[in-house]
Amino acid sequence: MYDQERDLIAALAGHRIGRRDFMRRASQLGLGAAAMSGLMGQMASSALAADSSFDWKAHKGTTLKLLLNKHPYADAMIADLDAFKELTGMDVTYDVFPEDVYFDKVTAALSSSSSEYDALMTGAYQTWTYGPAGWLVDLNDYIQDSAKTAGTWDWDDVLPNLRASTSWSGVPGEALGGKGAKQWALPWAFELNSISYNKRIFDQQKLEVPKNLPDLMETAAKITKDVSGVYGIGVRGSRSWATIHPGFLSGYVNYGAKDFTVDGGSLKAAMNSPEAKTFTADWVKMIQESGPKNWSTYTWYQVGNDLGAGASGMIFDADILGYFQNNGDTKEKGNIGFHAFAANPDAKEPTPNVWIWSLAMSNFSTKKDAAWYFMQWATSKEHDLFGAVKKDMVNPVRQSVWDNDDFKTRIAQNAGYLEQFKASEPGAKIYFTPQPLFFDVTTAWAAMLQRLVAKELPVDEGLDQLVASIDDQMSQAGLQ
Amino acid sequence: MQHMSTGERVLRGILIALALIFFLFPIFWIVLMSFQTNAQILRIPPSLFFSPTLENYTSLITGQLKTASGVLTLNFMQNLFNSFILSTASVALSLVLAVPAAYAFARYKFRFSEDIAFTLLSFKFAPPLLVLLPLTIYFQKIGLANTYFGLIWVYQLITLPLILWIVRGYFEDISPDIEHAYRIAGHSWAKTFFKISIPLARPGIAAAALLSFIFAWNNFVFALVLASADKQPVTVGALAFVTASGIQYGQIAAAAVISITPTLALALFAQRYLVEGLSLGAVKG
Repeated sequence: MYDQERDLIAALAGHRIGRRDFMRRASQLGLGAAAMSGLMGQMASSALAADSSFDWKAHKGTTLKLLLNKHPYADAMIADLDAFKELTGMDVTYDVFPEDVYFDKVTAALSSSSSEYDALMTGAYQTWTYGPAGWLVDLNDYIQDSAKTAGTWDWDDVLPNLRASTSWSGVPGEALGGKGAKQWALPWAFELNSISYNKRIFDQQKLEVPKNLPDLMETAAKITKDVSGVYGIGVRGSRSWATIHPGFLSGYVNYGAKDFTVDGGSLKAAMNSPEAKTFTADWVKMIQESGPKNWSTYTWYQVGNDLGAGASGMIFDADILGYFQNNGDTKEKGNIGFHAFAANPDAKEPTPNVWIWSLAMSNFSTKKDAAWYFMQWATSKEHDLFGAVKKDMVNPVRQSVWDNDDFKTRIAQNAGYLEQFKASEPGAKIYFTPQPLFFDVTTAWAAMLQRLVAKELPVDEGLDQLVASIDDQMSQAGLQ
Repeated sequence: MQHMSTGERVLRGILIALALIFFLFPIFWIVLMSFQTNAQILRIPPSLFFSPTLENYTSLITGQLKTASGVLTLNFMQNLFNSFILSTASVALSLVLAVPAAYAFARYKFRFSEDIAFTLLSFKFAPPLLVLLPLTIYFQKIGLANTYFGLIWVYQLITLPLILWIVRGYFEDISPDIEHAYRIAGHSWAKTFFKISIPLARPGIAAAALLSFIFAWNNFVFALVLASADKQPVTVGALAFVTASGIQYGQIAAAAVISITPTLALALFAQRYLVEGLSLGAVKG
C-alpha cells in the first residue's frame, strides 16, 4: 500500500499524471480526505524538490519560530507543515495568538528587538510602521538572489497589484511599489471588497443585484421595508481604521476621491473634496435608511454574522467574509451570492481596496536565510494551491492557482465568486496613501462617520472639520 | 423589631427576584449558550428551547475543534492550567512576602515606612504597558522571558500591593495588647506573629488572597507580552475562538463557564471570610 502511494505521488510530481487522475487513483486506493491532504502536501514538497538546481536542504537541522495569527490561513499552513519539514529537514515551531491581540504581540516583540521569532504574519498597513522602523527585512535582497531563491518559486506569478501593495519606499506619500520601494512582506492570501448577498431573499423579492451606489441604496431600502426582520445593507461602523478600509474606501475611490493629495512631500487631507462629499453623503444616507440599528458597533464579525444568520440582505465588505458565511456553520450556508461592485455609476470598473495577510521576516532573527526558505515554501505555488483547494486559504495570491481547474471547481460552488473576482481583480489594490499616521487618520475618519450617521453634523461641515483636524496632526508630525 | 406587612414582603420578594434576574441572567444565558451549536445561538429570534449538545465542552477538553475545513487544535486546557499555575503561585508568593511586610508597616514605625508602603501601592497605579516593554528587554537578557517564574515575578505587581494594603489595615485593627500579653508570657516575636497575629488576621488575609487571586486570574496583558503561546492564560486563550472565519459562540460560552468555575468555587467557599475581611479591613475607627 505504501509503495502504491509513493508511486502515485512520484507520478504526479514528475507530471506523468494530472491532478484529476491523481485524485481518482488516490480514491481507488481508498484514501480518505485527511490522508489525501497529507499526500497533497507530500506531492508539493516532491515537486519543489524536483528543482535540482536548488538545495532545499541547505539549512537542515535549523529550527525556526513563527509568530502567527489565529486565522484559516495559518491553519492551512500548519496542516501542510510536515511537507516543509520533509522538504528542508528543518523544524518549525510557532506561537499562535488570537487576532484581537495579535498586533499587540507583534509590536511588543519587534519593538523590544526580540530575536525569538524569525518570521511573522502581518498586514500590509502594519508594514508602514514596522518597515521604516527597521524591524523588518527588505526581501528584495532575497528575491533577487538566485542562490537563495528557487527558480520554480516564480515571484512574477503573484498578482502584480499585491506585490506592489506590500512594498514601499518608506517616504510618506510615495506610491506603493514605486521606485526604490522595499519589499517588506510577501503576500500570502488576501481579500477584496465586493457585494455578498442573500440569494434566497433576492429571489423571493425578485431583486436584481445592485451595480452601483444609487442602485445599492434603493435595493437596500426596499429590503428593509419589505422583508420583515431583515435590514438592507451590512457595513462596518466601529470607531476603527477597519471601518474605513473595506466597502467605504472601495466606493470612495471609485468616485474619484482620495485620502490625501501629495505635493512635494507635503500631505494634505482631501476628505472634503467635492467627490468625497458626494460619496460620503450617500454612504451616510444609506446607513441611516438601511443599515443595522447599532451600526456604530459593527466590526467584521457583526457584519458577517448578520449575513450568515439571514439578518441582512447584503454586505459591501470583504469577499471572503461572504465566503466564510457561505461555507461555515451558518443558517444561510449555500445561499450567499457574490457580485463585483463599482459604486460610481460612471466608473468603468470596480476599485476594491484590499487587505493582504502577508509574511514578513524579523530583522532581529538570527536565522534569516533559513527563514527565507520557509517564506519561499509558504508562498510557493504548491502550498498556495494546497491551501486554496484543501483548506480555506482564499483568496490565493497566485495567478496559477486562480487558473487551476481544481480550485475553479471548488470556488464555483460559491455563486458568482469567480466572476466577481475576475471583474474586481484588475483594480484591486491598496488605495490609501502610505504614511506613518495611517491608524490615527483612519480612526479619526471613522469617528467622524459615526457623528455624521448620528446626524450630529451636516456631512459638508463634518468633513471640513475632519480635514482641519487631520491636517493639524500631519503638521505636528512634520508631514506638511 | 418591626413586622413587615404582607404587601411589603411581596414587594421585597419581587425586588429581590428582579435584582437576581438582572445580575444572574447573563450568566444563565452563557450557560445555555454553552450547550448550543453556533447556528442555534444565532437564531433570530433567540429561543430558550433547543436540543442540548456537549460538543463545545468536548472540543475544549479534547483540544480538537471540527470545522468545515478540517480538525483544528485548541489549547484551552493548557491555557486553563497556565492560569491556575500563575494565579496560585503568584498569590502564594505574595502572601509569603506581603503578610510579614504588612505586619511591619502596621506595627512598627521606621524611617521611610510610609514612603515604602506607598511606593509598593503605586505599582497598582502604573499602566502595565508602561513597564512591559522595558521588562521584555530585561527578561530576554536575563533569560526570564517565556518562563513561569518570570511571569509569577511580574504578577507580583498585581497581587503584592493588594494583599499588603488590605492585610496592613487588618493588622492595624487588631489591638497590639493581645500580642504584648503573649510576649510577656515569654514567647518569641516569631511565635507571637505566627500563633497570635496571623490567626487573628486570617479573615483579612483570606479576603486579600481571594481578591488578588481574582485579579491575577483576570490579568491579560502580562503573559501576552512576556510569554509564548504555551504560557498564555485563559483570558488570552478564550479569544482564539474569535477568528476571521467566524466567532465560535458556543465554545466561548463553554470556555467562560469552565474558566469562571475555579474563581466561583473559591469565592463561594471563602464568602464568609470575604465579607468579614473586607468590611473589617475597610472600616477603621
